[in-house]
Amino acid sequence: MRTQPLVEQMELMGCIQCGRCTGGCPLARKTALNIRSLIYDMLVAPEMDVHAHQELWDCTCCFTCVERCPKDVRPAELIIALRGEMVESGRIPETVGAALMGVFRQGNPSGIAREDRSAWVGDGPQPKAAQEGCELLYFVGCSPSYDPRLQTVPRTLARVFSQAGTDFGTLGTEENCCGSEVQRMGEAGLFEMLVEENGELIRRTGASRLVTTSPHCYTALKNEYALGKVEVLHYTQLLADLLAHGQLAFDREVPRIVTYHDPCFLGKHNQIYEEPRAVLNAIPGLQLVEMDRNRERSLCCEGGGGRMWAEGTNPEERLSAQRVEEAAATGADVLAVACPFCLLTLEDAVKVAGLEDQLRVMDVAELVADALDLPVTNQIGAPLARSTGPEREC
Amino acid sequence: MSLSRVGVYVCHCGTNIAANVDVARLAEFARSLPGAVLARDYPYMCSDRGQALIREDVSEQALDRVVVAACSPRMHEPTFRDAVRQAGLNPYMVEMANIREQCAWVHDDRARATEKATRLVASAVARAVLLEPLEERQVDVEPGVVVIGGGIAGLAATLTVAEAGYSAYLVERSGSLGGRVRELDRTYPTLDKVQVVLRELVSRVAAHPNVTILLRSSVTSVDGCVGDFTVEVKTRGANLGEGVDASRDSQTLVVGSVIVATGFDPFDPRRKPELGYGQYPSVITTLELEQRLAAGDLGDNGAAPRRVAFLQCVGSRDVQVGNPYCSRVCCMVVAKQARQLRGLMPDAEITVYYSDVRTFGKGAEEFYDETRAQGVLYRRASVSEIVRSQNRVRLVGEDTLLSRAIGVEVDLVVLATGMEAGADSASLSAMLRLQRSPDGFFLEAHPKLRPVDTATAGVYLAGCCQGPKGIADTIAHAKAAASSALIPLLRGSVQADAATAIVNPALCANCGLCVEECPYGAPALDPFRGVATVNALLCQGCGACAVVCPAKAISLQHATACQVLAQVDALMA
Amino acid sequence: MSECQFDPTIIAFLCNWCTYTGADLAGTSRIQYPPNVRIIRLMCSGSVDPTYVLKALLDGADGVLIGGCHPGDCHYESGNYKARRRIIALKEILQAAGYDEDRIWVRWISASEGQRFADTVTQMTQAMRDKGPNPLRREWEV
Repeated sequence: MRTQPLVEQMELMGCIQCGRCTGGCPLARKTALNIRSLIYDMLVAPEMDVHAHQELWDCTCCFTCVERCPKDVRPAELIIALRGEMVESGRIPETVGAALMGVFRQGNPSGIAREDRSAWVGDGPQPKAAQEGCELLYFVGCSPSYDPRLQTVPRTLARVFSQAGTDFGTLGTEENCCGSEVQRMGEAGLFEMLVEENGELIRRTGASRLVTTSPHCYTALKNEYALGKVEVLHYTQLLADLLAHGQLAFDREVPRIVTYHDPCFLGKHNQIYEEPRAVLNAIPGLQLVEMDRNRERSLCCEGGGGRMWAEGTNPEERLSAQRVEEAAATGADVLAVACPFCLLTLEDAVKVAGLEDQLRVMDVAELVADALDLPVTNQIGAPLARSTGPEREC
Repeated sequence: MSLSRVGVYVCHCGTNIAANVDVARLAEFARSLPGAVLARDYPYMCSDRGQALIREDVSEQALDRVVVAACSPRMHEPTFRDAVRQAGLNPYMVEMANIREQCAWVHDDRARATEKATRLVASAVARAVLLEPLEERQVDVEPGVVVIGGGIAGLAATLTVAEAGYSAYLVERSGSLGGRVRELDRTYPTLDKVQVVLRELVSRVAAHPNVTILLRSSVTSVDGCVGDFTVEVKTRGANLGEGVDASRDSQTLVVGSVIVATGFDPFDPRRKPELGYGQYPSVITTLELEQRLAAGDLGDNGAAPRRVAFLQCVGSRDVQVGNPYCSRVCCMVVAKQARQLRGLMPDAEITVYYSDVRTFGKGAEEFYDETRAQGVLYRRASVSEIVRSQNRVRLVGEDTLLSRAIGVEVDLVVLATGMEAGADSASLSAMLRLQRSPDGFFLEAHPKLRPVDTATAGVYLAGCCQGPKGIADTIAHAKAAASSALIPLLRGSVQADAATAIVNPALCANCGLCVEECPYGAPALDPFRGVATVNALLCQGCGACAVVCPAKAISLQHATACQVLAQVDALMA
Repeated sequence: MSECQFDPTIIAFLCNWCTYTGADLAGTSRIQYPPNVRIIRLMCSGSVDPTYVLKALLDGADGVLIGGCHPGDCHYESGNYKARRRIIALKEILQAAGYDEDRIWVRWISASEGQRFADTVTQMTQAMRDKGPNPLRREWEV
């Protein structure tokens, strides 16, 4: 491909080759991905073979590079554009192709039947159909809808929303993939289609607020959909708001030491750091401890940017493994997350590391369920015995 | 038809204008304009010969108005006013058409640039025809200068003013003189003890009979204009220590010029949370290291760090924190501190992490060479993140020359934090009518030709309040500011702008709207005559009153509605 | 784009301290912008009488630009606020009379924003080109 069009479109001439993008890139430490040197390649060479850079599929779109770049070059967006070139040519990893096809055919990247999208409800009360009008639209998202491990999260949230007295509804089986990962895998055309379809569906409900389970759906719907007057919230923001206004209160003690992992798409993409902590701090008995790297310094779990459907070039060393070690080092017995992808990747890593006896990965919503004594705990057992964890310096 | 006799002069400005505007055609067109009796084009109208041309024509051709089509009036209007004054005309009988900045330099298409220039010249002639002579007012200049800020810039400016034989009032917010420089150890590139230099300067200032030092004091208001500023100063508590005591807690100073020397604020690296400043005790700033060096205690409880890292460009050249500019001093501060540490800790490993090294200035590159020769390693890597690693910290980044990840554990990290505009520059800019550049620093009147002047006549900038500077540059800038501030004082009198508001009593209905509109209290209702009057000494010439006057009885001289509307007509003809 | 493009004329009333100086900076920086703008220099945007704007429109200007200092930065303390208040009132009246009030732009451009001045002129020229000729021009030409 010719480099000039992207050099202009992405304003790569602004790059001073300082290396803070690649220096901060968690993937660059374990794969060939080096966006700083790729930018330089593009600046000096008129042509490049994008297919020679399979490491572009390693990027999790955590946006550390975007946050760090002192010249506002937005390297992750260049990666997405380069993936777009590959998508355009049709030469992409098989799993990526399958995920895109799944979204196209069934409205979800796993390609599971659309009719089963409400399966997450389980034996819980059937939520109202948002199509009939509601104040709060709950956008469940693909993985929480279908993945058995994740389904506890929407099930809990639906109960919490009811208990707080909100007028909420869901789109049921009409809900589509938000396209967040589709866009980041470089399939701009399909994303545009999803934006149009979902946008229309959302506007028609007349909802004034929309809440998502996933920070990924949140990012797409809030920043890329142009939903006008519809206020888009992540569920941790909504819960923090309900707590602040007395519509929600926790009465059951949850005597756990919890460390919170900031998801990239909530934190680095949207600077939402305090609301999830406010929710956790409102739980009686819960003690929140911080990892060394927290908030804008949080380490990516490696689940974003389409990586749930692309292995990457180095599947052996996982960032999630590093992250759970960091969590364990705090002495916490729960690693709290607020993102379905983080929940899956970090839970896996806990198992691989053999830390199951010491550290449990839980969604903030699951801790909230504990604090409200809600009967949705198919995964959540009795509180773990407190572990003190290893001694820490400083 | 007008009975005016306007002479039009089209400047080539060498080729600056002539290359992109057909000056001959423009002059020919100007001759056809109503009121114009002659038009000439000439290579440099601002040259002595160009000005002489105007003077000759005024006397020989009996011109009564002059239009110069050239550069911006902000550049040479005073020049041409002087020229016609010398020719015996009232200086307000000059109008300029800005065909350089507004035509030649911004429109490549010569035909269209020329066409636009004809409209601008037509507008200028239409306005010139309606110009009226204004009576020039001389203001006696008060023989003193207020210097705001007692850092190294304020001290140098104060001393220059005092040594020229004029009164200097040095207003300092804190309880002592010296500002940021008080915290520094040694200068670059000569490695002098800063405190020795500072002490000498402070004692000379404090001992000078022309100097009044006001510590713990702030300027609360500035009124008036060049030659005659009234500056209110408020002092907190009693003055102790150096200098002259001010026993009253507020006082009024009347001076001819004001020098602003309010300095900078150091960048707070907590705004780059990824660097862990404030979180890890082993991450400090260059300013903190400077204090430790000055105190002779590196704060390491005797266990000298074995591995030291300096990080360049923290809070500078970084749009993420809103500071796109280079702070200019950090590269040399780091080179100097690295050299000092090298001397103190011969066995330590000292590395400077940089993305560009800028060691400009006399002796600076040589100093950088010597620093490297003494064993300080420069590594082209901009550290992206600092994390905890046992009882040390680890630098996370990329060596961009090797394209290799860095994960170095170090004992001490020194962040080269840059400079930012002072937190109070917003309130100061409102008080002194100063403009600020997008970086927040005060804006000089011209980046090259007027580097210490401001848009407000009689107010000058010294030191880092105008932009980041090292000590040597700050003192040079401060002395330049003081020299400029002395110009009106040395002349003894200045011309006040005569373009003030005026009331036509025959039209005034005494409604008082102009009184309400004016921020300066210039118009007042005369209870005896039943009309508004304008105090020309208070009027700043903004023209807001003229807009609100229902009877159009009050007008701003030299920008009357007739003149402006004539320009509109000419531009649209 | 048609071959014979409509070429609008824009009259700009610029304050001496900020926007006029910003325009000068666009010049000294050699930033190119369309030659459709013709500038009148005033000391303050607060001295822009709404009648000047009306006069320009009646004379056939396709757009009128009023440029002043950023809020809080006025050389005369509050002239830019006064300008904004007056021009909003004028625009409301014009709108009520069925006239396209978006032919009048008020923009805050500082002395250091040469690029912003050039960008504003470029955008405004395009916007006025899209609107087509000022209808008042045709009426008065009859």
